[in-house]
Amino acid sequence: MAAAGKTSAKKETFLGSVGGFFKSFFTAVAKGDFFVKLSLIWMGAGYIRRKQFIRTLLITAVEAAIILYSIFVAPQYVTKLGTLGTVKMESVFNINTMKYDLNDYDDSFQILLFSVISIAIWVVALFIWMKNVIAVYELQQKAKRGEHINSFVDDLNGMLNEKFHVTLLTLPVLGIVMFSVIPIFVLILVAFTNYDQQHMAPAELFTWTGLSNFINLFGGGGLSITFGYSFTRVLIWTLIWSLFATTTTFFGGVLLSLFLRNKRTKLPKLWRSLFVVTIAVPQFVTLLLVRNFFANNGIANTMLKSMGVTQVLQDIGWITSDYIPFLSSPGWAHVMIILINIWIGVPYQMMVMTGVLSNLPEEQIESASIDGATKFQIFRHITMPYILFVTGPTLVTDFVRNINNFNVIYLLTQDVYTTTNQALANSQAKEVDLLVTWLFRLTQEYYNYKMASVIGICVFVLCSVITLVAFGLMTRGDKEGVYN
Amino acid sequence: MKKKILAFIMAAATCFSLTACNTDPAGAGNSNASNPDAGNSNAGDSTPAGDGSAIDLVVWGPEEDQTFLTGLIEDFKKQYPDQTFNIQLGVESEATAKDTVLTDPSAAADVYAFASDQLNALVAASALANLTDLSDAFKAITGSSIDDIMAQNIDGAVAAATKDGKYYALPLGAGNNFFMFYDKSKITADDVKTWSSLLEAASAAGKKAGMVFSSGWYNGGFFLGAGFTASMNDDGTTNIDWNKTSADGISGVDVVEGMITIASNPAFMAIADNDISNQIASGELCAVVTGSWDMLTCETAWGAENVGVAKLPTYSCAGKEVQQGCYSGFKLMGVNGMSKQVGWAAVLAEFLTNESAQMKRYDARQLAPTNIKASESDAVKANEMLAASIAQDAACGVLQDVGDKYWDPTATLGELIAQGQLKSGDTAAIQAALDTMVEGVTAPVE
Amino acid sequence: MSKKRIILDILRHVVLVLLVAFWLIPIVWLVATSFSAYPGRNTSHFFPEEWTFNNYIALFGSDTVANFKAWFMNTFKIAVVCCIVSTLFTIMVAYATSFFQFKARKPMMNVAVILNLFPGVLSMISVYFILKALNLTNTHLGLTLVYCASSGLGFLIAKGFFDTVPRSLCEAAKLDGASQARTFFTIIMPLSKPIIVYTIISSFLMPWTDFVFAKMILNSGISDMWTVAIGLYNMLERSLINSYFSIFCAGGVVVSIPISILFVIMQKFYVDGITGGAVKG
Repeated sequence: MAAAGKTSAKKETFLGSVGGFFKSFFTAVAKGDFFVKLSLIWMGAGYIRRKQFIRTLLITAVEAAIILYSIFVAPQYVTKLGTLGTVKMESVFNINTMKYDLNDYDDSFQILLFSVISIAIWVVALFIWMKNVIAVYELQQKAKRGEHINSFVDDLNGMLNEKFHVTLLTLPVLGIVMFSVIPIFVLILVAFTNYDQQHMAPAELFTWTGLSNFINLFGGGGLSITFGYSFTRVLIWTLIWSLFATTTTFFGGVLLSLFLRNKRTKLPKLWRSLFVVTIAVPQFVTLLLVRNFFANNGIANTMLKSMGVTQVLQDIGWITSDYIPFLSSPGWAHVMIILINIWIGVPYQMMVMTGVLSNLPEEQIESASIDGATKFQIFRHITMPYILFVTGPTLVTDFVRNINNFNVIYLLTQDVYTTTNQALANSQAKEVDLLVTWLFRLTQEYYNYKMASVIGICVFVLCSVITLVAFGLMTRGDKEGVYN
Repeated sequence: MKKKILAFIMAAATCFSLTACNTDPAGAGNSNASNPDAGNSNAGDSTPAGDGSAIDLVVWGPEEDQTFLTGLIEDFKKQYPDQTFNIQLGVESEATAKDTVLTDPSAAADVYAFASDQLNALVAASALANLTDLSDAFKAITGSSIDDIMAQNIDGAVAAATKDGKYYALPLGAGNNFFMFYDKSKITADDVKTWSSLLEAASAAGKKAGMVFSSGWYNGGFFLGAGFTASMNDDGTTNIDWNKTSADGISGVDVVEGMITIASNPAFMAIADNDISNQIASGELCAVVTGSWDMLTCETAWGAENVGVAKLPTYSCAGKEVQQGCYSGFKLMGVNGMSKQVGWAAVLAEFLTNESAQMKRYDARQLAPTNIKASESDAVKANEMLAASIAQDAACGVLQDVGDKYWDPTATLGELIAQGQLKSGDTAAIQAALDTMVEGVTAPVE
Repeated sequence: MSKKRIILDILRHVVLVLLVAFWLIPIVWLVATSFSAYPGRNTSHFFPEEWTFNNYIALFGSDTVANFKAWFMNTFKIAVVCCIVSTLFTIMVAYATSFFQFKARKPMMNVAVILNLFPGVLSMISVYFILKALNLTNTHLGLTLVYCASSGLGFLIAKGFFDTVPRSLCEAAKLDGASQARTFFTIIMPLSKPIIVYTIISSFLMPWTDFVFAKMILNSGISDMWTVAIGLYNMLERSLINSYFSIFCAGGVVVSIPISILFVIMQKFYVDGITGGAVKG
């Protein structure tokens, strides 16, 4: 409830500011002088009126660039967005050049990608255009009031002072838009197309198919009965994995760091460093190593066999093979993956917790122990609540990160694990797959981009629901206010 | 609120970079037709000289071939001194070529080696040039037409490089099949004739006989031997009849029963796919079903003089002994259909697969030549391993021609048998498993 | 009483030794195997039967499969650039969102949280084609861009840290007539050493551990171009693992060296950095 209230309040203020933006734009258009109105067409007009020549030049250049882009580049893609292209690639060999002569073909993926880019550019351009009119109108009013009009040097200074955040944010935001936002939009759109192995750009065209991929996933028709089944299976394991991976490493880290910081532990630094050594080896090296360590004929099996453990397990009926299928049979593999993740994650969590625990409310603990509280009571009622208070939000982000934890699962099970569940096999999934690893194989080995995108959207929805609910439950106030 | 200079600059930069970069690939992709290429002015010349500028080519070959490919590429440059070549050699295993190429065919190598079963998918993605259409280029440069070139190779290899009557690749090697390797000090040549005698001998020697069950490539051999088929349609879907009764009158259930009999023998080891070499090296095996690439591993593990090779054994099924079959395939050299220098790429591909190249490849990694002259050379004829490979193909080799959907369901079926989850005698469960497998394999390609 | 104490103490340390042993077994195996004369995966003995240093020599030899020198330099180069850019981007965004109250602040932060929820492997194909449009595939610059262009999204931890920096410091600087930029560089940056170190370490590690993006973008098949991660991963391919497993281990050990050094130097800051940020999350 609280969460819902909070978000809607946020939305209102956001919508409010958007509304205010439009209002001031229309005011500017209505009340602005000739030059303000002229800047609706020539964006530099308002500045040249105020003798801001460098600004005029810059904004005119931007406008020209946008117009040139819109005339010469964008149309060849955006006009085809509705069909995603109609002309298939054809090539004829030309003996004289020893090269292919290609027709003027359509590349559906390029059309999609550059349409998204063009639309992004136009949205930004629209914003700049409106913002520009408002700015010019403000200049007009400033001039009317006889206030100082910024020179270019003043503007530059502003970028380092009150507008410093703009300077700071520009490049990072540009990077994020290019390499996060646009790819994500393209990905979302692909979920509504038939981009798959039969329709691989650039050789073949693909086109819009509406919601059919989503309907297929959730049991709409054809083969999708097993696809929907596999989705559910994989989803359940993804959630179980994420829950265990997050909590085991978290509590493991807490316990280990408590253990190490206990006054009776000698040489805590040495012990800590020994654990930290394991972080220094890159994850993919350790994972590939561990996978060979626990292979069916790996060194772990050899040692356990000579110790007689394998025999014991066979006798009690846990295994039927003459090796322990650490990473090759369901159940065993699930447990091993979580254990290996503990091995990887605990030292890292220990480092985090060491820092967190160094700020423990010591007086409280002392007075509690004077009052006769047992160690466990102190841990249960003082230490743990404190740690949870401090690291709560990171627990949620860790959970989401584990849902998307590609490396651990992929590196441990790829090429090693063969499923014995035929329904899963029929949709190219395995018991140990996370949604992301399944998705990765669908794109990399089966080029089923459309279904991968659908799964990707599902992963996203899942993650956002979890995040929203978790943060809502925590109802931790925005602490930054205290310092502001 | 009004000083958005940096924001403007950023937007401008975006626009410029997009304008600049965007017209570029579009131009590169589309312009050949409209662009009056310098080469066009040579139209009157009988020899295609290109436009005189350097010809950039990228070649992908497997790790084992790198050294001799480097040498061959140098020879190629010497062969055509009039042209300036800029040839780069990259590593891409034949087995994984398809995965890498299909991610972005236009960025893939101009000439690359791949396994013949990938041909259909690569053709579908225009990642292989139609060599029949390039015949003029071969004729102009090498003097022989594509038909002449293909005719130098054995029929099976030519068939593997053909789709819809057109040639799409040049054969570079044969023997991409599997057969039996055994340790002569433990097992006799008679023992490897049937699975039951083989397992008995292995058990007597205190060792094991191994094979991969969890891969459709290997376990398909049992079905193929019993007369079942698997083939691919034009749309990439796979036809498979393993849940029915084969032309030889053997039912799919019988085949699975035969496999269960083998898998349940304590002297049998079901090896994980990818793990064969490790298992050979570990020394626990005295016989293993694998291919020519594991020859060296076997020699190291058993001693070169002890390595015996033979065609696959027979297995008992429906009361008779059935010869186990195998998929056979070829290694091919393809020319990228999106190559910017497709003509010269094709000439180079021919150079890397001709008789002398195949002999060199044979010397480097004992890969059976497809070139008829090369395969009739004394060295090749004397090679026992290749003889076994050829014997296996002759006994029951089926050209591998299956779609992507074939692999996961068949691997799972093999794993079910290997792990003993399908019980002998439980006909209903076996039939159900076969039906599910067939359903998965024949599913439409998405 | 004291006897019980001693026993407990001994027990405590025995447990610790066991734990450490458990954690170090794979590392010991890694180091031991890297000195093994047997090139493949030794399945019968934990320690090599015959020791040699040759794997390390082979690692830096002329073999294209073990082209470690080139990979190491490539990765190092990418890591350094990536580390500088990522750190700058992260700190810049964190500072702007922590110290400035502008209208788009809240929506921007929400969008950032949402963007972080999309699985990265998914947008890979689009990222690849964007790079291709910029003619940057198969270049280290392209890969570097992929690693650090969106690094601004990871600003939350650093922002949490900045939130704890007393605002009075900035006020004082402002009164002294320092510009915002000056305040940022002379007052805030030095104060933020822990979080900067944290960001440096995590962004430096990225190129050493990622192989998915690297493999997709550096797809020319020419091993001179590869990063350590692709190169080492390639060594475990089925046809190579039998002759390269020990060399792979040697590579793993060598890669760990720069990272370990970084950790040892920066361990203290690292802990402060994470926790300073985590406190405010």
